[in-house]
Amino acid sequence: MSEGTVRYPPRGRARAIKSFLRQFLGRGGAQAGVLCLVFFLVLAAVPNILVGPLQTAINATGDFLAPPSSQHLLGTDDVGRDVLNLVVHGARISLTIAVLATVISLVFGTTVGISAGYYGGRVDVWLMRLTDFFFVMPSFVLALVITPVILEVWGRGGDIFGFRPSLFVIIVVIGMTSWAFVARIVRSQTLSLKERTFVDRARVVGSSNIVIMVKHILPNLVPQITANGALVVAGAIYVETSLSFLGLGDPLQPSWGTLLALAQRAGAASAGAWWDLSPGVCVLTVSLSFVLIGNALDDTFNPRRRVIP
Amino acid sequence: MRIVIRAIVTLLMVGVLNFVLFRIIPGDPAKLLLGGARSSVTAEQMQALRQNWGLDRPLFPDQVIDYLSATIQGNLGYSFKFRGRHVADLILERLPATIALVGLAQLIAIPWGVMLGLYAGWRRGGAVDHIATATSLALYSTPSFWLGMLLVVVFSTALGWFPGYGAYSPGAITGSLGSFLDYLLHLTLPVTAVALGLIGQYVVVARAAMSDVVTEDYMVTARAKGLTNRQMLMRHAFRNAMLPVVTLIALNLGYVVAGAITIEAVFAWPGIGGLTVEALNARDYPVLQGIFLLLGASIVVANLVADLAYGFLDPRVRQ
Repeated sequence: MSEGTVRYPPRGRARAIKSFLRQFLGRGGAQAGVLCLVFFLVLAAVPNILVGPLQTAINATGDFLAPPSSQHLLGTDDVGRDVLNLVVHGARISLTIAVLATVISLVFGTTVGISAGYYGGRVDVWLMRLTDFFFVMPSFVLALVITPVILEVWGRGGDIFGFRPSLFVIIVVIGMTSWAFVARIVRSQTLSLKERTFVDRARVVGSSNIVIMVKHILPNLVPQITANGALVVAGAIYVETSLSFLGLGDPLQPSWGTLLALAQRAGAASAGAWWDLSPGVCVLTVSLSFVLIGNALDDTFNPRRRVIP
Repeated sequence: MRIVIRAIVTLLMVGVLNFVLFRIIPGDPAKLLLGGARSSVTAEQMQALRQNWGLDRPLFPDQVIDYLSATIQGNLGYSFKFRGRHVADLILERLPATIALVGLAQLIAIPWGVMLGLYAGWRRGGAVDHIATATSLALYSTPSFWLGMLLVVVFSTALGWFPGYGAYSPGAITGSLGSFLDYLLHLTLPVTAVALGLIGQYVVVARAAMSDVVTEDYMVTARAKGLTNRQMLMRHAFRNAMLPVVTLIALNLGYVVAGAITIEAVFAWPGIGGLTVEALNARDYPVLQGIFLLLGASIVVANLVADLAYGFLDPRVRQ
């Protein structure tokens, strides 16, 4: 299945990448997804240039829950903050959480999957038992009980690597509870890859197990990992939004979910302030983009799927 | 048999995780339980309490086994927030409202979602397929609680058709036909929000299942035998495509309780989700643990049912 990634000579590799891009972008969904993502990445990269610094209750500029106008394109929230300003700054928080959580989940899931598949035997049995638990229990349910406890242990003050502790905790908890899916796929691929001749050849010339896993097996797993990585990001955004909506986010670094929680607490929906719900549109667009990109990657890498439109 | 053992092991792990989480919260559980009364309790009294509650014994294995056996007997501890009430009672009290919400949503979502998905997969590339696929992908990526908020804005605030808050109108007489209709009216918007999310999932999975089936060799054979489209659909495609769909439905019976938590928060629905939000805000850990146990148990049971159903329906697995 992963024929497409067997090592190419330098020029062949450039050609392979080019043909991959042509196939990938040939899918309408993928184009739309990439465009939307680029748009939100720009928002997340330079929010201060686009809409000025993050508004708080102190430097809020508008009326309370004012409808959209030429000054406030998306209206204002219940303490007079410009909703557009909040949404653009929220892009940075939400995307960072989702992407970092995904990185943790991919690294952990790949490590578990490769080790289980490569070593087999007892290692495989125990690692897969652990994976089964996390596979069955949804990330959202686990995070719902783990997050408040860890927040209580660490406290909410100070910051860790530039993040408020509550955001950091959410990143780690989502990352550590959403890797099981990746681990299963990586394991099943590793099981078939380790029987290939290039692995035998590496072993004969004396490569250690670690070298074989990292240099010979891992590169062949890249297609599966990226295709599923896109889906993991979509899942992470969903979990983060839900957790923040239930009040586990950080009001000082508001993500889209936290903004929706604040809107709910202010009774924006029953006051008819639809503009205060605009963070939801961003969640929908970004997670749909990742789903579309993930599906397109899966279709491109998986020759059996290519037949089905 | 192996499936059942695996389910039991998963449930035990949920229990152990519950125990570990509760014990890593800083501070002595005895102090935590005494709450505000802590300053007026002498050191000797504290010691006696600790002994009484078994907190002076080693964490492993004594306390873990104590905890697990108490849990199996249905003793989930006492709530911090609700004046020391039994957690199990609190949860049982709230469960019917959640089951009504989620059950009704499933009843609506299963026929619509499955039929639409199967049809879209059968007539791939048709108009229905394009619309259904685009809509269901969008629904699939929408946080359903946000959908709920939109429903409140449109159907409750702007149009005033349905109430968007709580389960009963204030001053309603319980037990009468009027109050039942009032309850149904209050259910409409939350059920719609849950059902739309579920329909998105069912359409995506049913369409994919049907798409896989129509490219199978036996469909070519069926066509070569001269079967009509209708015969092919009913005899060969439908039953095979339903396999993954049935599994998803069984799984969803366990997952939707968790999925409805945020929706219940939007509509102040007095079910498990409402309880979760109250427990989270008050940091009521025993209640939170009880809810986690309930969610874990329902998910594990749903997985078990899905596995058994698959084995029962698919003769290849049965043998």
